[in-house]
Amino acid sequence: MWAFLVGVFTLYGILFSISPDRTLKAFVTSLHIMLQILFPLSIAFVVLIFLNHFVKSEQISRLLGRRTGLRGIALSCVGGILSMGPIYAWYPLLKGFREKGISDFYLANFLSSRAIKPFLFPVMVFYFGWAFTLILNILMLAESLLIAKIISLANEGRQ
Amino acid sequence: MKIAMAANGSELDAEVGHRLGFSSYLLLIDVDTMDFEAIPLAFDGTGAGIGAVAIAIEKNAKAILAGYIPPHVSSPLLEHDIEVFTSISGKVRDVVEAYKRGDLESYKYGSKTMKKTTLLHSLNRTIRQFASILPVLIGVVLLIGLFQTFVSKEILFSLFSGKPFSDTSIGAFLGSIFAGNPINSYVLGNVLLELRVSLYAVTAVIVTWVTVGIIQLPAEISALGWRFALLRNLAAFILAIPVSFLTVSILRVLT
Repeated sequence: MWAFLVGVFTLYGILFSISPDRTLKAFVTSLHIMLQILFPLSIAFVVLIFLNHFVKSEQISRLLGRRTGLRGIALSCVGGILSMGPIYAWYPLLKGFREKGISDFYLANFLSSRAIKPFLFPVMVFYFGWAFTLILNILMLAESLLIAKIISLANEGRQ
Repeated sequence: MKIAMAANGSELDAEVGHRLGFSSYLLLIDVDTMDFEAIPLAFDGTGAGIGAVAIAIEKNAKAILAGYIPPHVSSPLLEHDIEVFTSISGKVRDVVEAYKRGDLESYKYGSKTMKKTTLLHSLNRTIRQFASILPVLIGVVLLIGLFQTFVSKEILFSLFSGKPFSDTSIGAFLGSIFAGNPINSYVLGNVLLELRVSLYAVTAVIVTWVTVGIIQLPAEISALGWRFALLRNLAAFILAIPVSFLTVSILRVLT
């Protein structure tokens, strides 16, 4: 865990000795990114406290366990579509969900459904047209379910 | 007295396994002497969770602890008077100490004496969960900063050759290494189209921009495990190519 961070700092050290200005610029860029993810991270933190305090593993298992069917698919799709900000801000929350027993199918579906962003449709239509936007988003939804199924099949028999 | 604990390693300093059936080892620990036996959990398709149950019963474990134990696995344990503790995380050694002190009562499954989890308890648990992923998360953000500063878009654009399949694969790769708001992928896609890069490749950039994350892969592995993270990213990358071809083909038929 810490080895990775130490490795990245070492890389910064090496690059700083070669190109100090650009390395410093990279560090400032990273600080900006960190500021940007503070808000989604804070939301994830609050949701995780709520999850840890009020939601039992058995409840998650009932809602998003291995055999919850269409309800689970709909919940994970909507969760993924509505989740905002970079995905790495959501990892702590997803880890919490996993510890509560959410199935890998729904975790994968949540992560892949994030590609569909209805509030960005106008921008996509502006650049690529409505037909492209409609076809691509329908196919991305299908792709998301297929990825989830692949993950689910790969893990079948492991639990 | 022996207890069984799902673990990601064969030592007492290993992390507790987050799911019984997905853990590498079941550690049988004598809580009085701290002597332990590490039993590898084999995933042979018959269900490692049930296999761990059989071991716990056979070895006369008094309790079994893991991040999550599904109801169909915990039922036979409870029938054999084996206590089941779920939502457990941290190092095995620390959890054993907490068990000995009686601090884990609120995690006991199906217990009539189950205590209500306090808000402070939940807050501590949340802080631990965040702390376990934060160093990798910071590392990933620092890497993204390096990537955005040192790798210019011009270098990346020069990779396109004009061949649909290889361009689509390169597009999928580009989308996989970039991160950020999806709007940026639309803007970049538009620039690529102006540079006469095919719509197949541009579509692949848009699809993988959000679904595949090469730079943030260490953070995903840290949160969800290497098997899940690698498989999900690989599947998303490969599927992005047929999705791109299908999208453009359907578009051409319709317009």
